[in-house]
Amino acid sequence: MKTLLDHLADWVWLVPVLPLLAVVVTGARVLLGRAVGDAAEPLTARLASLAAFGGLALMLAIDALALAHGAPGHRRLGHWFGNGNWEASFSFMLDPLSLILGTLTALIGWLVTRFSANYLHREAGFHRFFIALGFFLAGIQFVLLAGNGLLAFVGWEMCGISSFLLIGYAWHRPVATGNALFAFVTNRAGDAGFLLALGLAAAWLGGFEWTALSRAREISVVNDRLLVIGFVIAALAKSAQLPFTAWITRALEGPTPSSAIFYGAVMVHAGVYLLLRLEPLLVQVPDVMVGLVVAGALTAIYAWLCGLVQTDVKSALIFGVVFQVALMFVAIGLGWTTLALVHLCLHAGWRIWQFLLAPSWLSITRERPPLPPAWLRQNQLLYTIAVQRFWLDKLAQTLLVEPTQSFSRDARGLEEHFIDRAIGQPGHGKALHHDRPLVRVDGLPGRLLASLSDSLQHIEYRLLLRGKGGAAERLLHRAGAYLRTVEGLLEQPRYLMMAVMATFVVIL
Amino acid sequence: MSGQCDLPIRERLAAWIEHLTHVLPAQAPIRDFVHHNTLHGFQHLPFDEALAAAHRLTGALVHWPEGRFRECFEQGRVTLDDLSAALDDAGVADLDAEIVRGLNRRDVLLASLLAGDEEAGAQRVAWLRREGQLADDSLFRHCASALASLPAADGPDAGQALCAGVGATRTWRGLLAEVCGEDVLERTRSILQRHLAAHLDLGVAAWRNPARERGFFAAWRASAGLDLAWELDELPNVRDEILHLPDDPLDVLLDELPRLLPDESLWHGYLERLSLELPGWSGMFLWRDRNPARGDGTPVAMLDYLTVRVLLERLLADDLVRRLVGWPMGVAELPAHFQARPDELLVRRAAHEAGLPEDLLGQAASLVEQARAGHVDEAAWQALAESLRPALLGVQADGAAWRLSALLGQLGLVPGDVDALGAPGLARLLDCSASLKALQRGQVWLLAYERHYREQLFSALTANHPRRRSSAGPSAQVVMCMDDREEGTRRHLEEIAPDIETFGAAGFFGVPMYWQGLDDAGRSALCPVVVQPRHLIRELPAPGAEALAGRRAARRERRLRWRERFYQATRRRALAGPLLAALGGVPALAALTAATLVPGWFTETRRRWREQFEGRVPTRLALTAEGADPATPEQPRPGWSEDEQVERVAAFLRMIGLTRDFAPLVVIFGHGSSSQNNPHLSAYDCGACSGRHGGPNARVFAALANRPEVRAGLAGRGLHIGDGTWFLAAEHDTCDDGVEWYDLDQVPPAFQPALDVLVGQVGEACRAHAAERCRRLASAPLRPTPWQARRHMLGRAGDISQARPELGHATNAAAFIGRRQMSRGLFLDRRVFLISYDPTTDDAGGHIVEGILLAAGPVGAGIALEYYFSSVDNERFGCGSKVTHNLTGSFGVMEGADSDLRTGLPWQMVEIHEPMRLLVVVEQTTDVLSAIVQRQPALQELVGNAWIVVAAKDPESGAIRRYCPRRGWLPWSGSAVLPQVARSADWFAGESEALAPAIILGGVR
Repeated sequence: MKTLLDHLADWVWLVPVLPLLAVVVTGARVLLGRAVGDAAEPLTARLASLAAFGGLALMLAIDALALAHGAPGHRRLGHWFGNGNWEASFSFMLDPLSLILGTLTALIGWLVTRFSANYLHREAGFHRFFIALGFFLAGIQFVLLAGNGLLAFVGWEMCGISSFLLIGYAWHRPVATGNALFAFVTNRAGDAGFLLALGLAAAWLGGFEWTALSRAREISVVNDRLLVIGFVIAALAKSAQLPFTAWITRALEGPTPSSAIFYGAVMVHAGVYLLLRLEPLLVQVPDVMVGLVVAGALTAIYAWLCGLVQTDVKSALIFGVVFQVALMFVAIGLGWTTLALVHLCLHAGWRIWQFLLAPSWLSITRERPPLPPAWLRQNQLLYTIAVQRFWLDKLAQTLLVEPTQSFSRDARGLEEHFIDRAIGQPGHGKALHHDRPLVRVDGLPGRLLASLSDSLQHIEYRLLLRGKGGAAERLLHRAGAYLRTVEGLLEQPRYLMMAVMATFVVIL
Repeated sequence: MSGQCDLPIRERLAAWIEHLTHVLPAQAPIRDFVHHNTLHGFQHLPFDEALAAAHRLTGALVHWPEGRFRECFEQGRVTLDDLSAALDDAGVADLDAEIVRGLNRRDVLLASLLAGDEEAGAQRVAWLRREGQLADDSLFRHCASALASLPAADGPDAGQALCAGVGATRTWRGLLAEVCGEDVLERTRSILQRHLAAHLDLGVAAWRNPARERGFFAAWRASAGLDLAWELDELPNVRDEILHLPDDPLDVLLDELPRLLPDESLWHGYLERLSLELPGWSGMFLWRDRNPARGDGTPVAMLDYLTVRVLLERLLADDLVRRLVGWPMGVAELPAHFQARPDELLVRRAAHEAGLPEDLLGQAASLVEQARAGHVDEAAWQALAESLRPALLGVQADGAAWRLSALLGQLGLVPGDVDALGAPGLARLLDCSASLKALQRGQVWLLAYERHYREQLFSALTANHPRRRSSAGPSAQVVMCMDDREEGTRRHLEEIAPDIETFGAAGFFGVPMYWQGLDDAGRSALCPVVVQPRHLIRELPAPGAEALAGRRAARRERRLRWRERFYQATRRRALAGPLLAALGGVPALAALTAATLVPGWFTETRRRWREQFEGRVPTRLALTAEGADPATPEQPRPGWSEDEQVERVAAFLRMIGLTRDFAPLVVIFGHGSSSQNNPHLSAYDCGACSGRHGGPNARVFAALANRPEVRAGLAGRGLHIGDGTWFLAAEHDTCDDGVEWYDLDQVPPAFQPALDVLVGQVGEACRAHAAERCRRLASAPLRPTPWQARRHMLGRAGDISQARPELGHATNAAAFIGRRQMSRGLFLDRRVFLISYDPTTDDAGGHIVEGILLAAGPVGAGIALEYYFSSVDNERFGCGSKVTHNLTGSFGVMEGADSDLRTGLPWQMVEIHEPMRLLVVVEQTTDVLSAIVQRQPALQELVGNAWIVVAAKDPESGAIRRYCPRRGWLPWSGSAVLPQVARSADWFAGESEALAPAIILGGVR
């Protein structure tokens, strides 16, 4: 029985990978033009829901065995990359925290996938929706089940991308695409924090494993604080706490089920999970915990005030969500992590239902909700602030999105005016010499190649053709020696590692 | 409007606002969704002119795109005969004139319709050229070279055209969007939308604008004056301007309008355009302005709204112009500015020409973009304009060659003929084909499409004429709603029980009333919207059940309060919110799991639990008035007097032609629809009951007809209903095909055996009907058994994830007013409203049919036309897809959290609809019908303006004549041969598309 438990837990990677497989198959069908018409829909929907159900069943089985024999804990499944000082591995964390949240997410994910199959029937973006949803389910399970920060970060990014894709689901509406971009750019601020923390962890703790991170007491408090602050920024951004709240209020443009699972029930809690996961680290730095309490409390006040004035159901609900997530941050700041975890689970369960039933609001409610307290009711200034949501989205637009956009515009300008011209375009070449009209070049490389060929011709003509023992042979021998040295250097692990890291950074 | 110039401006504004009611959507808050003609404001115009006017005003499509029609042509749903006849119908002149040798105008136009009028676009032509397909196409080559010899037409001066449109055909925002690609409306909407929704809110927000009591303008201004968003948006002076505005919105409007448009005569048009740019919000605002009693007491004045719109338009347009030209300039000076810079204008406009080659488009777009960020040299504009000019001409030439070669290909001409025709002949062909404008083309296609189905229906009616049987001694008579969906139910019932007679009538069954059920907090009108009821009928606990009812009311109240608390508190209460969310978490997950896996069972179980908790209360109806107070719509009187009761029952029975040979059981069937998670719920309910369930009307009618006093009164009026007849009531759920029977405990024991049989037969019919409905639903089982089908429908109705709980009135196309014998035994595919009327019992003037036409005409036309417009342009007339809908302020839906308010029908409802006008076939002579239409202005409008098509079927001979407003009554002659099958199921099994009529042999005894 014990071996069964061991083996089952080693299959946990399937939980995030199954939805990915469904995504790959559906993506391939779309690319090959096989996903057209009514007949193609059931396969996409069934694959997605089968993958989600597979994940749920696996999680339940692991849960059952964990109940009987205790949680499997940290599992290292394989080596990813690394060097002597640090290592990144494929590892999964199967402690009660991850198991509970992973199971809950798998259940909600499965239900929402099934819900969407009917809801999105015959939509133009049917397959696109399931691709993004599957991608998200994989990503969030990576976040929740990963045994190390790096793998969690990969999941974190997958969630961000799928969120971007689904906010922009109705891509023909400028509002939807604008908001998708807004959410994406704002979330990058959180990613910067996450990356910073990961880098520091690699440098100071020698790895990204959650288990290693709990050894943080070995490093100085100053270092610990910096590390934690990185993660806290990531958590605040993903869970839409101040000052990042604006993105979530503009994220409600997608289909109802995607709003429900992303912003109502699952993704919005990812930040809370991250902090719960880092609890051992957090308790080392009481001042950061105070900061959490403050951020949570401010967000709660903000969300409560804004929630009072909302006139559409989804916005009203989203402020309710942000409010309660803020309370979870407060609870974590106060050290009540169990309370926060329980609150998280129950809240997710309630909100997924409430969000999916948002279209029923008319038949569910009968009357206007009770008025706010009298001191608030007549305050025109506070009312305006609440209606404008403290101008947070305008501020974020001005401070984050517009600079990013102008940066990209500048980059594009640079490319158009300098790089493109320097590189040249095929078919736009001009003859270099009047006497050789067939040699046509454009751009710097073209000119370089032309002059290179000129000089090569020159060399060939002047040196090589003049026989053995010329200057050319000597030069070539020396160059060969240099190249061998470079090759030898490159084969040494530290330089190889550097090249791999460079590639990795580029990919990220 | 020219005659009003001398009126004071306030009165003129009032008139303009009154005029807006004709052009803006008139949809009430969504809770009371009732089908109505989307273009109701244009109904005084003939159909075609109204479409053209609406198209001019809103830019919306008013016909299906030609591509859809051509698909129908390829499927044989429109034939060449239909198209040819449609050309005659449309009144196209000189159809037999010869255009070129051997080809007359008709041939050319038909070929042109089939060839389509799409532009190819430079990209496509270039691609085809590169790929060699076009180079091999000698026809295209010949056309291109022949056309090259024709002189190119000069375009009008661009600058002139730019100035001319503002006020008449567009607003400054439209012009600016065209020249600089930035849409001011996006910003205007974002700025306004939250304030608008907050002002109109009917029950979502807890906290309202403190200044709302002073009207929208004051409320908006109070907030906007404190708003820092202006500064953040780099509009620094705007807040000051707003703070210094006059208090009276009219003064503000009169200050702002001259700044936008110095010419006063354009103001009216401008305001109309402006309101039409956000039709949903404008329409809802105007509706609340016109219906103050249906609001929540907050003053809503359209003038406030227009003022804010005009002010914002001016402020934002000025800002955009400043950024556009680089210095502060009034928006009104813009045309002059561009007239001096023709090159810049050409480039800016070319950036939207989809037909241009991509590299030029890219250059134009990037130059416009550069101009937004900084200054662009005159020379740059000029250089690009120089290369754009020949490209624009090239696109035109390619387009003409493309169209011509498609036309010639359709005419069957070969390259040799092209040379023979020469340039003048080709020009004549092109002119002739272009003489049919886009709207006319749509009209001809629509007429052909309508004709094809009409021919099928006429031949079905003619084929069925000799099969009429008058039934003697029916076992039961069943009266259903005229609703097209009930056609299926009735047909199956007749197939299952050939000795049953069925009738159809508007689903309020002649008893217009305010109804207050036992559980209802208030009363609701159950009758067509045009009727104002004057009586209130209440459902009361049966004698002796008062204690039960009290307990039920208390428990129900407790349940609803808790539900409300859960949903409301979890979103806004600081302390109770987290507690309740935590309490609800586990049950909600369990509920979601159950609702996803076994929706039908879960809904049923919930209903049963609810009933167990609240308890069942036997009820009775308070039908008879105590006193004789006057009854008015404002002060409805509880109950009718004896006379009124007799009058209503007698009138209804006479109307449907049920005056003798009463069967032992007469069943009145109301209908309604039960679906989950559906904001457009009431659009599926009974249109004759103001978008509510019609069961109460059926129950009231049956109860009236069973009263001995009423029976005695009826006998006094010559309607003898013996003791051997009992009236029953039931409600048919069109979504899950279930039936709820009313007051079965009061049925005398003598009728019990017959009742048992009947209940079984009705159940069987509903199951068979469910099987028929399955064929149009993609997720339903293929070829289901009736039981499977019914289970599927139950699951569907209870499914919270189902965006198509049922298909509503989709595919409705015709209405028959006459005896059931004319259509009994025909398979009509749930497309026809069936209204019972017996011409033999009517008087010579046809007063009964007059009443029917007056009541059913507008209801049927409203349904058909709303479906028509929502399906031809779902973006503008409909409300788009349900999946991103977001309920707003308890009065409408938006897409996402920042969009216009969406009105009309969602795409999921009209997806399979076949947009055509309602064809009304009346079993009556043409003389009687002509006279009726003559004396009824409402019908004159509908019929004379061709919003519906009317045909008469002679009660004796069965000859059919169709009414054409231009040419009068046109006799129909066509073949009357129809496929014959034993039962409906044999005809529809395995088919998933619309089906032609067929004769059902088993449907007639």
